[in-house]
Amino acid sequence: MLEIRDVYKSFGKQKVLNGVSLKVSPGELQVLIGLNGSGKTTLLKILTGLLEPDKGKVQIGGRDVTQLPPEERYIGYVPQHTALFSHLTVKENILYSLHHGRGSEETFHHMVDLLALEPYLGRKPGELSGGYRSRVALARALTSTPKAMLLDEPITEVDRAKKEHILPLFRSVLVEMNIPVLYITHDPWEAEQIGTSFSIMKDGNVTRINSPAEAFAIVREQALCDGE
Amino acid sequence: MRKVSTWELLFVPLFFLLIVYPIAAIVGNVTVEGMERTFADPIFWDAVKNTLITAFFAALLGVLLALGFGYFYIFHPGTLVYKIADFMNDFPIALPHTVAGLALLLAFGRKMFWFAGPTGLAFTLLAVALAMFFVSYPLAARTIAASADEIDMDLIAVARTLGDSPANAYRRVVIPVLGEAIFSAYVLSFARSLSEFAAVIMFGGNVPGMTQVLASYVFSKVEEGEIGMAVTASAFCILLSLLLVLTLRLRGKYYARNKGCI
Ligand SMILES: Nc1ncnc2c1ncn2[C@@H]1O[C@H](COP(=O)(O)OP(=O)(O)OP(=O)(O)O)[C@@H](O)[C@H]1O
Ligand SMILES: [Mg+2]
Repeated sequence: MLEIRDVYKSFGKQKVLNGVSLKVSPGELQVLIGLNGSGKTTLLKILTGLLEPDKGKVQIGGRDVTQLPPEERYIGYVPQHTALFSHLTVKENILYSLHHGRGSEETFHHMVDLLALEPYLGRKPGELSGGYRSRVALARALTSTPKAMLLDEPITEVDRAKKEHILPLFRSVLVEMNIPVLYITHDPWEAEQIGTSFSIMKDGNVTRINSPAEAFAIVREQALCDGE
Repeated sequence: MRKVSTWELLFVPLFFLLIVYPIAAIVGNVTVEGMERTFADPIFWDAVKNTLITAFFAALLGVLLALGFGYFYIFHPGTLVYKIADFMNDFPIALPHTVAGLALLLAFGRKMFWFAGPTGLAFTLLAVALAMFFVSYPLAARTIAASADEIDMDLIAVARTLGDSPANAYRRVVIPVLGEAIFSAYVLSFARSLSEFAAVIMFGGNVPGMTQVLASYVFSKVEEGEIGMAVTASAFCILLSLLLVLTLRLRGKYYARNKGCI
């Protein structure tokens, strides 16, 4: 279980998170939809431990991790622009956490099979297309056998046609891991393709919604307000 | 015909008169006799050796310390230590290097470092290297900080979630990614070290065959009226400098070609 309770965060006078609470169960793939600048990345950074909340708690697997540094939280993280290590090969990227005894060769091979990365293992990230860079970033995070997964718009660099193929693939791989997954996007269509549950971020709060269609309405309404 | 702008009229003659012409004057004044006498002078070769050895270690120390600064820059930019260190990188710009030499002399000379020898650390090769380091470190630190500024912080974020402490992430991700900047920082500090005269002579002295470096060798030869030898040693310095600049340029091109799209 991944749980956030009553998290607040401001940057100077700007209140970004205003008492956010959220629960994700193992096997659940919750998509968090929010407009640009609504605080999605800030929330993920608080979950990974890269940013400290002003107030509130973060729990993973029933353990309070609010005070722990990122390396002790066992969270998988795929950031917005994949952040692959350009000096390492694809294989070395995926096996990065093995250095700390996390994951195994076995998980590695499993991930490589699932994500069809075999032909690219010897390449450098700079030689891959956007879609394959996302796959490597996902494989790298999952190979460390995390207790929860966070993905921040992981396929921004993939074109629409390929998204239709990659989203179901990611969904099946993530669901198979049976850990809580929080997936962030500002695109309700993408949310529909990958999510098993949905929530929306608005005015520093997160609310559960029943379908991404609801997000469409809210996103449109807010976009109109912002446009004025 | 193309109209020549004022800036071109200003730049071309002044640049050639004030920058290129003096360098050419050295090269033009090199004589066979001066060369023969200089290359037969064992003191000259000692100066070459001293220069290369001290600059090598000064630049090494400079890069090591600059990497330490880079660590603070990335992981502790809010701390007082970082703020002081950052300020100190720029602050010596207007400082005459005789002041730097005197500062080192007072700090590590006979008075404070009496236990290290009759003159403290002063007037040894170590002193020469420390003086070179003192003036070249800010250059290395700024080179590395400028590149660290461009690092994608998500790289470090991901490394941390995969189990790296800040020190681990610095060693496994930041330093390799900074590779090119570290190399530039080294070459720049090495070059800056070769060229240092004032701080070196104040703290390291100018004992031929002992602590004399190329810069002080040229100075001594001019004083002794041995212009032919001073010119030859100077031309040698120009050659070294040229080599370093070419190294930086070629390396830069190599990196640009091998980086690919990221
Ligand atoms: N370190 C920071 N210092 C100051 N303000 C920040 C910082 N990080 C984020 N912000 C501000 O907080 C707000 C939320 O930013 P955040 O990156 O969390 O949004 P986001 O929902 O991820 O947006 P996007 O869809 O563009 O990725 C923005 O207004 C941003 O300017
Ligand atoms: Mg974001």
